[in-house]
Amino acid sequence: MMSVLPLMAVLLPMVGAVAAVRLQRISSRVRAIGLGAICSVTAVLSLSLLPGVLRGTVYELHILQMTPEIWLYMRVDALGALFGATVACLWLLGLVYSDGYMKHGHRQGRYYAFFMLCLAWTMGVAYSGNLLTFLIFYELFSVLTYPLIVHEETPEAIAAGTKYIVYILLGGSLVLLGVVLTFFVAGAQTLSAVPLLDAGMDHSWLLLIFWCFLAGFGVKAALVPLHGWVPDAHPAAPAPFSAVLSGVMVAAGSFGIMRVVYQVFGVELLALLNVMPYMAAIAGFTVFFAAVLAVNQDNLKRRLAYSTISQMAYVTLGIALLTAEATSGAIIHITNHAFMKGALFLCAGLLITRAGIRNVSEMRGIAKRMPITMAAFALATLGMIGTPPLSGFVSKWYLGQGILQADQPLYLIVLLGGALLAAIYLLPIVYAAYFLEPPAVEQSGADTDDPDAAEAPLGMLIPTVIASGLTIVLGLTATLPGMPLSLAAKAVEQFFR
Amino acid sequence: MENWPHWLVLVVMAPLVGAAVVPALSLRNRALAPWIALAVMSVTSLAALMLLVRVAREGLFSYVPGGWEVPYGIELRFDEFSAVIGIICLIGWLAVLFSVRYVEHMPNVVPDRIPYYYALLLLNMGGMIGFSVTGDLFNFFIFLEILSLSGYALVAISGERIAEMAAFKYLLMGAISSLSVLFAVGFIYGMTGTLNMADAASRLAGLDGSPAAPAVALGLMTVGFMVKAAIFPLHVWLPDAHAIAPSPVSAVLSGLVVKVGIIGVIRVQQIYQDSGVVDLAILNQLFVWLGAISIVVGAFFAIFQEDIKLMLAYSTISNIGYIVMGLGLASTYGVIGGSVHVFNHALIKAALFFAAGALIYRTGYRTLTDLRGVGKSMPLTCAALSIGAISIVGIPPTAGFLCKWYIALGAFEADQPFFGFALIFGALFIFIYYIRMVNAFYFLPPVRSEVVDAKEAPLSMLIPTLSLAALCLIMGLAGRIPLSFIEPAVMRLLNGAGG
Repeated sequence: MMSVLPLMAVLLPMVGAVAAVRLQRISSRVRAIGLGAICSVTAVLSLSLLPGVLRGTVYELHILQMTPEIWLYMRVDALGALFGATVACLWLLGLVYSDGYMKHGHRQGRYYAFFMLCLAWTMGVAYSGNLLTFLIFYELFSVLTYPLIVHEETPEAIAAGTKYIVYILLGGSLVLLGVVLTFFVAGAQTLSAVPLLDAGMDHSWLLLIFWCFLAGFGVKAALVPLHGWVPDAHPAAPAPFSAVLSGVMVAAGSFGIMRVVYQVFGVELLALLNVMPYMAAIAGFTVFFAAVLAVNQDNLKRRLAYSTISQMAYVTLGIALLTAEATSGAIIHITNHAFMKGALFLCAGLLITRAGIRNVSEMRGIAKRMPITMAAFALATLGMIGTPPLSGFVSKWYLGQGILQADQPLYLIVLLGGALLAAIYLLPIVYAAYFLEPPAVEQSGADTDDPDAAEAPLGMLIPTVIASGLTIVLGLTATLPGMPLSLAAKAVEQFFR
Repeated sequence: MENWPHWLVLVVMAPLVGAAVVPALSLRNRALAPWIALAVMSVTSLAALMLLVRVAREGLFSYVPGGWEVPYGIELRFDEFSAVIGIICLIGWLAVLFSVRYVEHMPNVVPDRIPYYYALLLLNMGGMIGFSVTGDLFNFFIFLEILSLSGYALVAISGERIAEMAAFKYLLMGAISSLSVLFAVGFIYGMTGTLNMADAASRLAGLDGSPAAPAVALGLMTVGFMVKAAIFPLHVWLPDAHAIAPSPVSAVLSGLVVKVGIIGVIRVQQIYQDSGVVDLAILNQLFVWLGAISIVVGAFFAIFQEDIKLMLAYSTISNIGYIVMGLGLASTYGVIGGSVHVFNHALIKAALFFAAGALIYRTGYRTLTDLRGVGKSMPLTCAALSIGAISIVGIPPTAGFLCKWYIALGAFEADQPFFGFALIFGALFIFIYYIRMVNAFYFLPPVRSEVVDAKEAPLSMLIPTLSLAALCLIMGLAGRIPLSFIEPAVMRLLNGAGG
């Protein structure tokens, strides 16, 4: 069905980006209301596509013929619709939170302009209907993230930004190579249920294309050893942007891998090429490796960054197993992880602004001063570990089912080991916050506030609590129609026929 | 209206006559000079527009001044590659506008001489336009000399410390190149007895005996144009000349004048492809390699430059490498990519040099360290510079992306995938120095108070800069238009069915 809604979801935030600088000049309040409205409408638009997609409608739109062969083309299927809705909702939470977080920050106009621009491009990634369109949005959002990562303009931020941009451009070049090669082999085709490539093509080309794509998207999806930018970029970026960076930007890499695996190659061809065992091994190693490193990090945002690497590798693992259940698990884990990790980063931001705490070792007894923040943190932690009935459990349940379905029980160890390590690197934080005595007052560092009233204002607290609360909601309502699982089932139905 | 036959002669004569008229008319009031030059460029642009419309409608056409029929008369020929005059006129017009404020502030400028600056600029335009539309080998050489000589003078005029030296280096290399082109023209005339290109092509085909003499002519001609196009290892003159010249002239030199070398290479290929007397495959393979080396060498040196204009100059070497590689691949996609980049690189590089010129004009500084923090004081100029940077690196969907996409495809099509990889990863090098620039302008603490207090560039500079930056985006999104425009000419070139 032809529809302009997907295009609107990209254009609206772009308008917001242009308006951000102007509105900021009028007043912060006008800017907050204007951008909030735009972002809300975008979120509503993205959600309004879900019912249609569930019924099996595919929304599409030819925008513009960029070259004689290739159109800019949008196409919303179940996978894209779910990712788009996740992106828009998490972004809305991040935007509301930013209003409080950035209140005393510098260059707010620039921050909000790029924040909205990145939303536009990420929505474009979710809704793109062919590889060139995908590439365009993917490169744009990769590159235009840079000003947000170096926003603080400290030497560390600039160093982290440089690292980020080098990794990402290398990855982007590999993706470009993959797209060019696919175009060369298969011509300009849309990403539909029918895979672009088939077994009749030269296998050395096919393997080259696969590894180009996997390495390219692997940089963004933070597969070890391509993860180097993640632990530096996250602590450097402002907290609300860390939340979306970790929640959906890293996931955009996994999303790209899904597009490649299911729609460029197709399940049967990949089984024939026999590359998935390698991909599964890489993913399994990443789960463990990053989780072990996370245990050692004292900087809270750095620890969360490593946790992201570990958790997103679950998604890659789920894709690599090539079973229906595992695919469902991988798809819903993107959404579930987005809100859990978003909540954790938003909490980390609150700890920084309200209590001056950046390190895990300083968190003793903080729950007394910031009870709501730490409750949200604890809830998201439990979700991350995979405690039933929270959302993290649902995705891990399906991943586990998929592992058994694929008859590779070894990966159950990875799954459970990763969860165990998540408990090891996250639970001590919660424990320290609730059960250890706070350090003596004169040692409490930069904190000059009243020690009893560190809790954040509502504007920042509400998005944090919502993100964390979604862990329960997404867990309890997992089987209802319209929830991620039903969309994942729809997507799986298209990919596994 | 576009069928009026005399547009083709008007488009060449207007700037050449204008060059003589500008100093004469502005003797009394030299403030008139830029506006007369602008009027001349407007007339030229109108003529160019008509020619573009006509070639898009009916394809190749020619004009014989005075009704002297080919091969006895001098022929002007207009094909799709000649459409480069559209870009020449656009950038020329904007460069004149940009110069209005810029030249008054150049060091050591003698106010009475300013009209001569515009005369030289028009002469340069006329030379380039004539070069692109001529169908006659000797005129080919004449126009090459017109544009080269005016180019040397325009570099020397800037009054910078090493301007004379840069201009002299340029002159030395340019003289060698012109000489070898002249020799080659003599060779061809000696062998065929004609100076008309199409005629020469058909007579070369009927030539008996060894292909040595045509091959020598081909070699001389190619070397001559390679110097003009600054292809490695004949690029050494370019960085100083382009960095030292006044910024609007840098835009013209880097965006347009080096492309003349490329047009020359294409014309020579047209002649030899049609005649089939020499196998071009070896030459093409050489182009691919030299192109790849140029990409890497240009990018490598650019990384270490502090001076923004020097950095942009090295980046030109790199981009010419792309074009030459695309042409050398001799596959449909590759040649299309290379030809379209002739247009797109002109837009992008002119936008970058205009923006850099505006920064230098307002702040008086030109190194990355000195210019720190300028993003805040001159936001529009720096935004244009950033768009140009993104575009030249080839981030989709900007104009620079099309070239990367097509030339990489062309490399696979020509079964030389290695060059496809080299091209895509070569672009990464280029990004490194633009990241340095963006960091300096926006994110690093300022060191110069003049930079922090600088005002946004004047309107006469902003208009050229911003409109070209906008075109960098538009030409990427509307890539279909130049691509499908150039396609017939590329097919003719590859199939050897008449230039």
